Amino acid sequence: MMRALGLLFLGLMLATPAFAQKDGLVVDLPGDVATMDPHLQWDTDSYTVYRNIFDNLVTRDATGKIAPQVATAWRYADDRTIVFDLRTDITFHDGSRLTPEDVVFSVQRIINPAFRSPQLSQFDQIVSAEVTGPAQVTLHTKTPYPALMAQLVKLSIVPKAVVEKLGDQRFNQEVVGSGPFRLRAWQRGVQTVLDANDAYWRGKPAFRSVTFRAVPDASTRIADLRTGRADITRGLSPDDAEALKSERALQLLTVPTERIAYMFVNAQAGPTKDKRVRQAIAMAVDRDTIITALQQGYAKPVNIVLTPANFGYVPDVKGWPHDPAKARALIKEAGAEGATLQFLTSPAYDRRLNEAVQQMLGEVGLKVDIVTMDQPTYLRRRQGTPEEAGSLSQGRWSCACQDADGVIFPLFRSGSIWSKFANPAFDAEVDAARTILDPGKRLEHYRRAFEILRDEVPGIGLFQDVAIYAARRELKWAPTANEAFFVMDMKWQP
Amino acid sequence: MLRHIAGRVGQAIVATFGVLTMVFFVMRLSGDPTLLLVPEGATAEQIAALRHQLGFDRPLVVQYGAYLADLARLDLGESLVQRAPVAGIVGERIPYTMALAAGSLVVALGIGIPAGIAMAVWRGSVLERALAAFVLTGQSLPTFWSGILLILLFGVNLGWLPTSGADSLGSLVMPSVALGALTMSTFARMTRIAVLDELSRDYVAAARARGLSLAAAVGRHVLRNAAIPVVTVTALEVGNLLAGAVIVETVFAWPGIGQLAIQSIAARDFLVVQTVVLFVSVVYVGTNLLADLAYAAIDPRIRMGA
Repeated sequence: MMRALGLLFLGLMLATPAFAQKDGLVVDLPGDVATMDPHLQWDTDSYTVYRNIFDNLVTRDATGKIAPQVATAWRYADDRTIVFDLRTDITFHDGSRLTPEDVVFSVQRIINPAFRSPQLSQFDQIVSAEVTGPAQVTLHTKTPYPALMAQLVKLSIVPKAVVEKLGDQRFNQEVVGSGPFRLRAWQRGVQTVLDANDAYWRGKPAFRSVTFRAVPDASTRIADLRTGRADITRGLSPDDAEALKSERALQLLTVPTERIAYMFVNAQAGPTKDKRVRQAIAMAVDRDTIITALQQGYAKPVNIVLTPANFGYVPDVKGWPHDPAKARALIKEAGAEGATLQFLTSPAYDRRLNEAVQQMLGEVGLKVDIVTMDQPTYLRRRQGTPEEAGSLSQGRWSCACQDADGVIFPLFRSGSIWSKFANPAFDAEVDAARTILDPGKRLEHYRRAFEILRDEVPGIGLFQDVAIYAARRELKWAPTANEAFFVMDMKWQP
Repeated sequence: MLRHIAGRVGQAIVATFGVLTMVFFVMRLSGDPTLLLVPEGATAEQIAALRHQLGFDRPLVVQYGAYLADLARLDLGESLVQRAPVAGIVGERIPYTMALAAGSLVVALGIGIPAGIAMAVWRGSVLERALAAFVLTGQSLPTFWSGILLILLFGVNLGWLPTSGADSLGSLVMPSVALGALTMSTFARMTRIAVLDELSRDYVAAARARGLSLAAAVGRHVLRNAAIPVVTVTALEVGNLLAGAVIVETVFAWPGIGQLAIQSIAARDFLVVQTVVLFVSVVYVGTNLLADLAYAAIDPRIRMGA
């Protein structure tokens, strides 16, 4: 406590100038870093910072294709064994060389259940990792696992010797990576400062330092941008974006993400157990109005519960048209006129969307009862039995893997905690698609899976979410669908 | 007197114990914390495994016993999200909130008390009406809105003060004004009533009859007597300042415990939330206890139980 008091007064004395220096970049984030250790939390604010400190086994290029990073090449020895060739010219910030042992250690660390990584479910298809050559590692998966490379995009390589020397708790405070920036200071709740790693193997970063500040309120982040206190910020709403359009010194950077806004429809209990009611709901919800009125155009229409940024997206499976008259007739046919649907929600979700759906369904003869509860209660009911899960709820889903397997498997595969839908034909398609490697064959399975989902409507794709950043006009950067924030890819425009 | 103090301290301990018990059970009855800690795509088996690892599958009473035992050893546990000791996470933020509370009190006392005195002394004048309007404004503006207005005016348009952060003394000004406004109004109203009350007393009339000027009468006699309720209110307002800090710290990106509470709720870091609530209630109970004791020290009728 006295140390913190001292830090506070030190901070007060070393008052930094309000304007960002040109050779440093200042980023306003909605929150502080939860963990600096890249094998722990995977929330946007944390990874926005720590992914600049580490290298990943593989990465994605500007077009979204998997590209080499620490690994230069990879090949399947058999359908459960993947061999990676590694670079030999990467050094960590402490000067030690990045070796195959570090890669194996990183894999084993994140899949060790005792380590309790919140990212475990992303990597638990990997059974083991071993060093198989001076610059080679081999991974073994439980089954043939097509999403493996997409998951490995997120695997940061940590230095084995440093982690073992410092221990997990201290490593989390004093991380050492091999990325373009090294940690200078982490002032909890206030800011994280990174310095450029001039010895970086991909070249010198364009900025001498990066400061990530924690500024929770969007209006304050915008004020920071307008006064030059910050150079770029993320997490803006469509309303914020509209208000910023007239600012000549600033630019909006937007990108459709892999996050799908969807509505859950309970296929196993209540009035929506009848397929006709679910189909009627799909026709009653006016998704164009939601996109133009609620999202102010900062969203892309989708035909299915998946975005085009994910593998497995099939553009030609038709979505339901907006047709209230047909919806009303179908509800009458099902004898569900005036039926009450429970719309479960929590303060974490956009209230306006709940109310818009309530009104749209009211117009076709369904009464929607919006039930708001705290997040733990919401999760308990939504993940509980079909009887307690309510008829409807909304969500925004991202698997951070850009693959259909991470979306429709947890949402609709029978037996998954989120699914209130049991369809053996659908299960067979998604089960098959997750254990074969051939992309063409997988796509065929997903096409059939989405055709079943279209007919059965256990959920409705509302729109593809758009990430909104605002930055000084001089900053050159193109945001990506996976919401990665690599400062290495940014620079001032000449 | 000693019996009085012992009684009050005892009550304070019971109140604090009651709060921590309630916080413990309310936070667990609302749902299983495990559900908040796992990523969205986790399977039922993964959730069950984590629940067992964290001990959330034990009966609630057993968990409560373990919590009390840890607390007795001053062990607040390790944050499940940040993987760091909770005591450190919360402790680091306390100085910031203390600085903000002090700044707000300076604003509140520095403006509120002179305003209250002026309103009482020049009762019925244009000045009183103008000050009353000022006080009412301070009381009515919600801080999340007044905060943004302050930022736009002094940060963006005039450029006098930093728009956010905690890196200079200037950063403390706007949050202190936003947070102090409500308390300032309370002080102004309390002071006005107390001074008016004293002004109507016979001793004031007697002092004036002796030829003492109004200013001298107020300065020498009235303020001393009117100070008693104001001192009490100051202690009670500390609790309100802590509550208001939640919003003000969020708007101004001031890294105190209010902002920590919001961040921890959003990050589902429930051990931290629990500790923040515990800290705030201890401060609240503690300042109330101090006010009680100060009151008793000042006014003998209270400690005699009359």
